[in-house]
Amino acid sequence: MGLPNASEDLSAEMEVDAFRRLFPLRYFERHLSESIRPDARPLGRARDTTISLGAVASADGSALAKIGSTTMLAAIKMEVMTPSLESPDEGCVSIDFHMPPICSPIVRPGRPAEAAPVVAKQLSDTILSSGMINLKELSLVSGKAAWMAYLDIYCLDADGALFDAALLSAVAAFSHLQIPVVSLDYDGKIVMVTEEQKEENLENQPVNKDKRKLTLSSIPFSLTCILHKNYILADPTAEEESIMETLVTLVLDSSCQLVSLYKPGGPVLAYTSAVQDCIALTRQRVKELQDILDEAISGMEID
Amino acid sequence: MVGLSEGEKEFIKGGISQDLRADGRKRYTYRPIYIETGVIPQANGSARVRLGSTDVIASVKAELGKPSPMQPDKGKVAIFVDCSPTAEPIFEGRGGEELSAELSGALQHCLLGAKSGSGPGIDLSSLVVVEGKICWDLYVDGLVISSDGNLLDALGAAIKAALSNTGIPRVHVAVNAADEQPEVDISDEEFLQFDTSGVPVIVTLTKVGKHYIVDATSEEESQMSSAVSISVNRRGHICGMIKRGGQGLDPSVILDMTSVANFVSRQLIEKLDSEIAAAEADEDES
Amino acid sequence: MAELFLFEKQTQQNLKKDRMAAKPATTSTTYSPIDPIHKTRPPIFSNSDVDWLRPDSRSFHQCRPAFFRTGAVNSAAGSAYAEFGNTKVIVSVFGPRESKKAMMYSDIGRLNCNVSYTTFATPVRGQGSDHKEFSSMLHKALEGAIILETFPKTTVDVFALVLESGGSDLPVVISCASVALADAGIMMYDLVASVSVSCLGKNLLIDPVSEEESSQDGSLMIACMPSRYEVTQLTVTGEWSTPNFNEAMQLCLDASAKLGKIMRSCLKEAASDVQE
Repeated sequence: MGLPNASEDLSAEMEVDAFRRLFPLRYFERHLSESIRPDARPLGRARDTTISLGAVASADGSALAKIGSTTMLAAIKMEVMTPSLESPDEGCVSIDFHMPPICSPIVRPGRPAEAAPVVAKQLSDTILSSGMINLKELSLVSGKAAWMAYLDIYCLDADGALFDAALLSAVAAFSHLQIPVVSLDYDGKIVMVTEEQKEENLENQPVNKDKRKLTLSSIPFSLTCILHKNYILADPTAEEESIMETLVTLVLDSSCQLVSLYKPGGPVLAYTSAVQDCIALTRQRVKELQDILDEAISGMEID
Repeated sequence: MVGLSEGEKEFIKGGISQDLRADGRKRYTYRPIYIETGVIPQANGSARVRLGSTDVIASVKAELGKPSPMQPDKGKVAIFVDCSPTAEPIFEGRGGEELSAELSGALQHCLLGAKSGSGPGIDLSSLVVVEGKICWDLYVDGLVISSDGNLLDALGAAIKAALSNTGIPRVHVAVNAADEQPEVDISDEEFLQFDTSGVPVIVTLTKVGKHYIVDATSEEESQMSSAVSISVNRRGHICGMIKRGGQGLDPSVILDMTSVANFVSRQLIEKLDSEIAAAEADEDES
Repeated sequence: MAELFLFEKQTQQNLKKDRMAAKPATTSTTYSPIDPIHKTRPPIFSNSDVDWLRPDSRSFHQCRPAFFRTGAVNSAAGSAYAEFGNTKVIVSVFGPRESKKAMMYSDIGRLNCNVSYTTFATPVRGQGSDHKEFSSMLHKALEGAIILETFPKTTVDVFALVLESGGSDLPVVISCASVALADAGIMMYDLVASVSVSCLGKNLLIDPVSEEESSQDGSLMIACMPSRYEVTQLTVTGEWSTPNFNEAMQLCLDASAKLGKIMRSCLKEAASDVQE
């Protein structure tokens, strides 16, 4: 009796799979009417999220963030620049977002993904406007030298909610950042201070002995939601994003102030009540993400 | 692309296995080599090499530059190869880029030696004028005019000939050591010659069926299963090797190939030396 | 004609400069505070130092511990992550999928390879560009092992990203790519394991790290199919005498046989995980 049953199951499964490919919208709507999503999540639930700090040894600060299977690797390299005349005691942060061809079947080498510059712009707007980083902390010698923090975020696996994962990896990389100790040499250039030199106590003292870490005030966290009919789906996968096109991305900081709200068009027009629902979901998510980040940081300090 | 009928393919393969190739050569015989030097008057050195209907030009241009901070006592050499659309219609536009990049890469592998700067070919420390400040940068450019197989060997020979044709102006350095960038005076009359005896030759062994041949024509290359380019210097040392073409090779075959390359290279070096000497003599006369 | 192509080269160089100026990451406006000691570093050892220890305290003929994991990228048909010391790479395989429209009909499959570096892969921040030479070397190393006849008219794309460069990058990329191909279910004659050897003075160092590579006098890299005992790719630089060359090649072949076993066991583990 077992055998025919098993083959029947298989054929049923085949049909579901075919149905999913042929009528994706109806497939999803059937799920939504039962308040469940194909990956067994309730509508408002985000996927499992992990952060690991210090993934890249050659960088000054780095973090790997995963939301579901969307994976982002962020790394910060510190270089020295001459500050501009307008702001002689401020450093600078340069943010770039890359989607290499490994991350998704739609990206081919030589042809950058359309989404990449959009996410890059959103990221630098969000990080710079949230006031998370005090650029004055990046100053080394007023008017002469300051840090330029190059933050590069690579998408290693693209499965929806790219901005959320990228922002999470970026803030995690900043909280992992360890600024190298440097001193001024005779030519007025900034050079690295090595371990041996610290002991020898050279005549040229390190210029940034007690400024190894940035104080991050009000860290921004984000949540992307899909609006479809009356449903709100938090943290969409790539498949969901391709079928239901109206996205809303909300960024709140750790004290739940609104940093940015981004709704790039789409066929669904959102009532203010829907936006408020999204804000409520984001609030919950901010708490979750804050906990995950704190845990990652405390885990690192034990090591 | 070479379009061959089944019969022609069999003819080539059969000939190679019987050690009598379509143009009457044996497996390890090169086509006649013709070398002309000084073909480009503006360059510091140049040569044209014809190998059957394969025709290539190499030119050497020397410019004063700054040595890299990692190796202050060495000059720099860069090799670029360009494939002219006159050789093959598909080289038009960007079509030749892939082949050009492959050839440039292989030549850099075979002629320039290892990262530390030691090894074969050009003695980089002879290019330094003032240590850490000024050195000669050599730009070696290859141009493929007509292609009938075995481009790499022909380019290697052309570069060797062009280098021996190269005269680098003597440089007088003004004596004021305290200066950041010393002043130089480039002489118009005195030229230094290169020692090119250490420049290796490249021997490409193309495997067709069970045997391998040197100096394959493009028809023969279309039938190859794999090819190995080996650069060998006068002392019989291997100075670089790169495998081309798809199929895998047994390690013992590779070792056998190196000994064949070693043997063939001796004749090739002799041949090139006499051709280069003859070409130089011709140039002086005219 | 020579003037013409020299001019072309110069414009290319100018273009490169322009591109650099457009990006904020130029050496002229920012620089990395390099450790002053490293600039004038003596060669890491001379011929007499026989018992000299390598930077990561390995012996000369000992490889770094190799780690492979399949399924690193879910959106790809197959993928693998490899970590050899500080060298970390991810390879994704896509396809077999439709070839580019411009491609001619072909009754065997096509293989398309691309290798790129992240901007933070090297100690000094790079441009994060494609690595053309490695891309074509990867192509040649794999093409002999893949049974292209099994996917006519279509293309398999192999994309590699070097997350961190810690030396022997290309061999790690090649080995990792063949694990990723196996993960994607592409038919192959055998896995391709690749190992390189650096020659420093009279010593042969297997699986060199970046510091060793930057001061090497010669290098030899082999990609081979261990079970078939066939070499798919081989590159040599520097001057080698025949006995030296033979020794280095044997060293590489033995090491790649061992590496092949590690790769195989990683795939077996992944397969048994799925079954459970």
